[in-house]
Amino acid sequence: MVKKIIKHGNISISYRAIATIAYQSALASYGVVGLANENFTRGISRFFSKDQQSGVVINYENDVLVIDLYVIVEYGTRISSVAKSAANNIKFNVEKLISIPVSEVNVHVRGLRVSDTD
Amino acid sequence: MAKTSQRKDSADQIEHANITTINGKDLKKLFKASVSWLKCHQAVINSLNVFPVPDGDTGTNMVLTMQSAYQEIANSDEENIGKVIQQIAQGALMGARGNSGVILSQLIRGFSRILDDNQEMNASLLNQAFAESRNTAYKGVVKPVEGTILTVSKDIASASEELTENNDNLLDILEGIVAAAERSVKNTPNLLPILKQAGVVDSGGKGLLTILEGMYRCATDQSVDIGEVVPENTVISLDQISNNEMHDEIEPGQDFEVVVDFSPNNDFELKEFYDRLSDIGTSIQVGEGDDIYRMHIHVATEKKYEPIEMVGDFGIVKKVYIENLLEQMGQAEKDNDFSNEIEKDQIAVITISPGNGISKIFQSLGVAKVISGGQSMNPSTNDIYEAFKDLPTDKIIILPNNKNIIMASEAAKKLSKKNVAVIPSTSIPQGLVSCFRLDPNADFDDIVDEMKEALTEVETGEITTATRSIKINSVNVKKGEVISLLNGKLVHSSRSIYKSCSELLKIANTEEREHITIFYGKNVKSEMVDKFAQQIASEYPDHEIEIHSGGQPHYQFILSIE
Repeated sequence: MVKKIIKHGNISISYRAIATIAYQSALASYGVVGLANENFTRGISRFFSKDQQSGVVINYENDVLVIDLYVIVEYGTRISSVAKSAANNIKFNVEKLISIPVSEVNVHVRGLRVSDTD
Repeated sequence: MAKTSQRKDSADQIEHANITTINGKDLKKLFKASVSWLKCHQAVINSLNVFPVPDGDTGTNMVLTMQSAYQEIANSDEENIGKVIQQIAQGALMGARGNSGVILSQLIRGFSRILDDNQEMNASLLNQAFAESRNTAYKGVVKPVEGTILTVSKDIASASEELTENNDNLLDILEGIVAAAERSVKNTPNLLPILKQAGVVDSGGKGLLTILEGMYRCATDQSVDIGEVVPENTVISLDQISNNEMHDEIEPGQDFEVVVDFSPNNDFELKEFYDRLSDIGTSIQVGEGDDIYRMHIHVATEKKYEPIEMVGDFGIVKKVYIENLLEQMGQAEKDNDFSNEIEKDQIAVITISPGNGISKIFQSLGVAKVISGGQSMNPSTNDIYEAFKDLPTDKIIILPNNKNIIMASEAAKKLSKKNVAVIPSTSIPQGLVSCFRLDPNADFDDIVDEMKEALTEVETGEITTATRSIKINSVNVKKGEVISLLNGKLVHSSRSIYKSCSELLKIANTEEREHITIFYGKNVKSEMVDKFAQQIASEYPDHEIEIHSGGQPHYQFILSIE
């Protein structure tokens, strides 16, 4: 749970909520076609997960957020650029919506989806 | 102000020749034009960037992506259009930068899939290609955002369907496509609220439109090189102005950065303000905050106070910042640190490098510290000793990379109680080749042996200008001539740098080798590097050639022949 102290009390935001923001912004990023569960042992059935927070791991320490993202990228795109934009996108959206600084977004590419082969 | 609307004015009068097919060569010409047209509008497109991260670099990213794409075909005479577009797609993929670059590369990839191995493209293929282009781009995202480059690609595809129905003149079709793209771009703020708020159109879409416009202009023999088109005078928010990263390069006449905070008079006119500023300097930005304006400009040394006086005519000056950029650049260069973290008991390599480019390569090979120095600027024993004395390991390897520094390295070894080995490398290529053998966690003695052994694997060529007339090894040298040295020995002297290089490579028995790496020096112009590399490539077509900026002084070129 992330806590923010304001004048008249506290605001607490669950990791789940933050993960949902990250999840949504990841999917709106060009080239990211899905998120994968960070834990491979849970099996292929969850490779493309619909759970709103799977594939996102949030850590909160010293008043900053560290976000780890496990993604599937579209085959044929430049993976480094896709990962960079996704990280930028998530940092921007999370900071905008909850006003807590994001110090790191680590993007882990867990797989590629092949729609077309050239 | 040059605006893209020029196209419209003239388009109406343009008679279209009847062109029904184009081949690879035609495409190359069109593509080249679109790159330069896009480059002209880079700043305009950058200024449109508001979403999702306000970093203002869409134009730059698209230009870099397109340039990388064009690079693939720059030297090709291929006539098969399918092959050409495939190469372009490959280049775009490799060079894709940023969101817009990635999408652009996908658009091109889709386009190329349809042209497959066709010799020429006609209207029906073009139509299919635009459709596939759109499909491929949309596949790359789960939740497509409309009002972006994706939307523009979609509108282009639908327009092409209509346009190709009863017309097979590619010029007519392209004209219609450009018009459709323009309409689509104009409509983006209606689809994406954040664009409307910011009062701009989508930057990626505008970039795509600009690319197509460039092609149309080329096809109708209009100029695509109109110089840089500057964005319309705009006021940006204050926090955008403060974090500019313009310090990478400064042009002559931009020695000072002046920033003035002021509160404007009631009759403040932005246009006039901009005009007056542009008489004084460059890189002008005006930002607006709470009741305060901030002006940012780069000016020449002698004009550093002029902007302040001028702002006085437009309002009340609150605060002034002046920074000497030249000084800052010097500082930045000194601060360059090319070291790598070394863990306890790993092998640490200390190396000496004459230029930033070379230092960077050493850094990427995992050396612990790079000391700057070399010909005519030898580091002292103490410089070398200081570099490793505090490292958390006792296993130290020194690569002097110059025969005059070997002594100092040996002396540093004696100063230290650590286990120090000096690998007697006498040139940069030797040092680099030796570094390839580095494994920080392996046995120290084994690595030292391997690194020493590696020294013999490479021939070093150096090309420089003679500082006096002399005769050595039966080579007559006149002052000012270009001389070439092979492994430190003078082998040839000539008035032409290309001749010198060619002789050097012959004497080095390059025929028997496979790989040539070129490190060009600090003051070498890029045209010269290109010409130099091309000459080597034409003389040794089967060799692999690599080009790096070495940044070294004195030597125009250092060659590594493996």
